[in-house]
Amino acid sequence: MRFIQIAVLVCCVGCSGGALAQAAAGKTPPAKGRAAPAPAAPAAPAAPAVPAVVPPQVPPEVVPPGSPPAEVPPGSATEVEQNTALPPPSSAAQQVYSAAKGDLLQIRMLLRNGRTQSSVGSGFLVGTSNLVLTNYHVVSQMAIEPDVYVGEFVDTDGKSGPVELMAVDVLHDLAVVRVNRSGTGFFNIPEKLPKLTQGQYLYSLGNPLDLGFAISEGSYNGVVSRSFYDQLMFTGPINSGMSGGPSVTIDGAVAGVNVSKRRDGESVSFLVPIRYAQDLLAEVAGQKDPPSDFNAIIGEQLLAHQRAMINRLLETPLDLKSMGPYVVPVRESDQVRCWGRSNVKGVATFTADITACAMQSAIFVSESQQTGYLSMTHQYVRSASLDPLRFSVLASKQFNASLGNSRDARLTAPMCTEKFVKTKTLPLRAVTCVRAYRKFAGLYNFTLLTASTDDARASLQSRLDVAGVSFENGVRTTRAFLEALGRGGRK
Amino acid sequence: MKPPYFIETLALNGEVLHRHRVLELPIRLGRGYENDFILDDPYAAARHAIIEAGPDGGMVLRDLDTMNGVICRGRRHATLDMNGDTVFRLGHTSLRVRAADYHVEPELLDRTRHGWEGLVPGLIGIVLVWLIALANQWLIDTQPFQLVRYLQVLAYATGGALVWGGAWALANRLFGRYARLGRHLFILGSALAVLAAFKAGSSVLAFGYSLDALTRYSSHVLILIAAGMMYYHLNTVKPHNERRFGATCLVLALFISGLVMISNEQRTGSVADSHYMSVILPPDMRISPNHSVDEFMGDVEKLKPRLDRERADLVADDSKGEQ
Repeated sequence: MRFIQIAVLVCCVGCSGGALAQAAAGKTPPAKGRAAPAPAAPAAPAAPAVPAVVPPQVPPEVVPPGSPPAEVPPGSATEVEQNTALPPPSSAAQQVYSAAKGDLLQIRMLLRNGRTQSSVGSGFLVGTSNLVLTNYHVVSQMAIEPDVYVGEFVDTDGKSGPVELMAVDVLHDLAVVRVNRSGTGFFNIPEKLPKLTQGQYLYSLGNPLDLGFAISEGSYNGVVSRSFYDQLMFTGPINSGMSGGPSVTIDGAVAGVNVSKRRDGESVSFLVPIRYAQDLLAEVAGQKDPPSDFNAIIGEQLLAHQRAMINRLLETPLDLKSMGPYVVPVRESDQVRCWGRSNVKGVATFTADITACAMQSAIFVSESQQTGYLSMTHQYVRSASLDPLRFSVLASKQFNASLGNSRDARLTAPMCTEKFVKTKTLPLRAVTCVRAYRKFAGLYNFTLLTASTDDARASLQSRLDVAGVSFENGVRTTRAFLEALGRGGRK
Repeated sequence: MKPPYFIETLALNGEVLHRHRVLELPIRLGRGYENDFILDDPYAAARHAIIEAGPDGGMVLRDLDTMNGVICRGRRHATLDMNGDTVFRLGHTSLRVRAADYHVEPELLDRTRHGWEGLVPGLIGIVLVWLIALANQWLIDTQPFQLVRYLQVLAYATGGALVWGGAWALANRLFGRYARLGRHLFILGSALAVLAAFKAGSSVLAFGYSLDALTRYSSHVLILIAAGMMYYHLNTVKPHNERRFGATCLVLALFISGLVMISNEQRTGSVADSHYMSVILPPDMRISPNHSVDEFMGDVEKLKPRLDRERADLVADDSKGEQ
């Protein structure tokens, strides 16, 4: 099965074991593999025999914050130095760092049993309070599996202490933890946020790759809306492990929280705008004790996300594109991008055109679970030379798609229903499979597969994946997509 | 008890390896040359045993105080009353003694078609295998025609058929009398033809009438067909064991079906082979009517209670595990 990820890769800067290992070994992270190919890259070459089964659109991968400690191959120490060395700091950066280092922390997730670290990120003390702001993905293990993981902070002097999770914002990837010390007041989050101008220098702090605290400098480049929630684009290098660290202006006003970078680009990093953190901190101010069950809170937030996502998706009828004689629904927006590709004519006896639209980002829930995204794929296969019998074998093969790992413990097994359905203009075979989330009540994954049954030598096969939606919204989206499939006027 | 007497040396499977005629009792058995029946067996004594007429008119075997003795049904006997079916062991040699008036079983009806052996059925079998392999290749071939791919398929098919048929022929030669390679090839070819016919027929029916269960559970029919093939192979090796072989193959088929279901359940969470029917045939082959989008979405809605039940079970399992 050929997975073509057209999705943009946004990799969280959490210190991923894989990334760490790669960095430690002195290699540049590969463009393929975990990282999706660049969206601008030409579509993967079509396979000669069967070019591409409609790929289940995998959400853009958010690289998890952590994992087993990376093994540094012996003898590669010098390479590590070369590879991870940041540009020499300017005098401004030196000033910022020396003023900030007292409030800068590394946040580690430890296994309760054995207290070995399983992931590392960064965080910072807000003002003079004992509250630390970081990324949700840095503390996700503690939030989802509090029985297994426990958090710890380490400051720039190497002192450590326990952390207590106070609040999470899964959608914007933020979390607040409480520690047993107070900040010096360097990192301020004023009520009224300073206005940033494009090109302005920002200083990003954190503990890259668990090597030690560091500061990197880059310029602010505006708000990007490719992901569902706004993020700031920053041209400084953000490495794994700096997740959750602050990016500040020269006078110490926090502009954003380090969150991710594009693996396929050079120094294209992203920050969570600090205004989202304001809301979260306000929420924490009103509570004395940490909530006991974060899974319920995360479930609520995911439900809120899917409501917004589906409402935005369906607020206007889906756009219609024509593929040969067929009309297919797509949604193209800042968040949902479409890519097309085709098998090369001449190497096969049939032609396959594919239009795939997918949301550019997903919500990171845990290292192994991302949700709150949707993708739609249309494949129009036709052949002039294959007889109907052989064409039907080809169409059947294409229609035999994977529903993902059925034994995924986080979801129930897929339950499917199938029928011959006729939309207004197109008869087709429709299959819908639904899976329920185990930890989050009321959330489901929907997959709709359709294959047209109106032409013996052409087949339109479509696939819709909606992950992390309420049943009602899943049904709504499935219906909207199904009803929009049709056949245009011309034959 | 009528003379002459026949001493039969048996193989482990009961087959007679050698038959020796003795005119009168007593019969002396042993490795020495003064015996009536000489045993070429280093584990037999020079004078090992003697067969005499018993008081009731039967035969009695007497051990002549040897080290290894006379073994019958796993036990050592100093004297052993025998009828024509008693098999005993002296050293490493299994023997049976029958008198001339031993009552043999009635003649079996010969249902074997002796003309249907050798080249003709073998060729038909191979040709069937070829045809199916070529048809299959033709169906899945979506590249421009290239002869070499079809020739390769032919070569693989021939090789596979000969290995399969050859293995059965070897078994046939070992446990039966002849190799009967032609027969075994014919059985293989026919089974594949039935398999292909089922595949095609079930696909057409499933698509035509929207019987998706037919494709989702088709592996069990395939297993049944394979079991049928085994049955015919076994019957060719050893005729007149129909019942035993039939039961064996059926049990085997049920066992494998069970395994398939368990592994499906492990792999996909349901006992079916796949989650849905992926067969898409030309529109003309469809008989089943279209449904409206509303009807379909109604079916989707019905999944919710089932999913929620399953999720509740999983969550219940979780909390049980924590206790």
